[in-house]
Amino acid sequence: MRNLKAVIGIIAIAFVTLTIQSCKNEAKKTDVDNGIPQMEMNSEEHHNDEDQDHSSMNHNSGENERNIEASTQKNGETSSIIDAYIQIKNALVAESKDDAAKGATNLLTAFTEFDMTKLTGDTHKEYMEILESAKEHTEHIVKSPIDHQREHFEGLTSDVNDLIALLGTNKTLYKDFCPMANNNKGAFWFSEVKEIKNPYFGSKMMKCGSIKEQIN
Amino acid sequence: MLILIVVFAGVQFIPAKRNQSNTVSTSDFMSVYSVPKYIEAKIKVSCYDCHSNDTNYPWYNKVQPFALILEDHIKIGKEELNFSEFGGYSLRRQRTKLKSISSQIRDDKMPLLSYTFMHRDSKLTMSDKKLIVNWIEKLKDSI
Repeated sequence: MRNLKAVIGIIAIAFVTLTIQSCKNEAKKTDVDNGIPQMEMNSEEHHNDEDQDHSSMNHNSGENERNIEASTQKNGETSSIIDAYIQIKNALVAESKDDAAKGATNLLTAFTEFDMTKLTGDTHKEYMEILESAKEHTEHIVKSPIDHQREHFEGLTSDVNDLIALLGTNKTLYKDFCPMANNNKGAFWFSEVKEIKNPYFGSKMMKCGSIKEQIN
Repeated sequence: MLILIVVFAGVQFIPAKRNQSNTVSTSDFMSVYSVPKYIEAKIKVSCYDCHSNDTNYPWYNKVQPFALILEDHIKIGKEELNFSEFGGYSLRRQRTKLKSISSQIRDDKMPLLSYTFMHRDSKLTMSDKKLIVNWIEKLKDSI
């Protein structure tokens, strides 16, 4: 009887230990997720690298993107999608994870409410592909810590870029580029204002970037 | 204590589901792209257990509640990325996925710590990480 008790005790202890161990690992994982991007934020270095990065930027970020014609179609239907995107952008500039999540929730609503019955043939097919990808990024923005939100914001920007190229907009937008973002590969974002406010770094490097294009 | 043991014994009756298919799908990442042998082996050991239709089950899958935890991990993992169905994704989605794969590996977010803790051979060394990330990035830029 005594032996049996001891054996059961050992099994129970082993079980509890293993459970605690796996919880610990989960906690560790979350810590990593919440960590800030591990990148050196040296502004001097940034300026030295700038020229070099600018020359190589087209080979990286913009490669698979469509070009937006300077006078794009004046389409008001995409407005609520772009508004929600801008809301996410401004939340990331202000370093608010929660507001970015709210903007992303609004963006998901905007996608649902978008009337795609008017799209036909290839345009419809392409819209569906952009939508699939954009939704996935947006869903991640809803539930992720801010560094991960920023990663998906970069992908989302590329989708919004292609959406504007495909369907147009009647909004005035600025397409900005920061060579430091995306692990020094550079990344774009759209802004409704001329002034540079960086959504990838927020206050760490608010002014990093320049206007590459003006739409409307 | 007794309650704990009874519960532990009780949950053993929950059947463990198996995420295994005996065929290699034509849309499998390894069928769609020509992957260098070494990288293929690394990705299969470190990623496929949760990100494909074929899990190489560990012994503790026979023990509840671990089997349930595992099942949940696999379900979430496959939703995010399923190498077995990679070829079925649109090119746009493939590029997005490749980008996420490389950033997750580079930032040490994947493979999960809780996973490499139990599967020592799934841990990627610094040079393996570099090799895989570079190759994935190159593939991303070529499609």
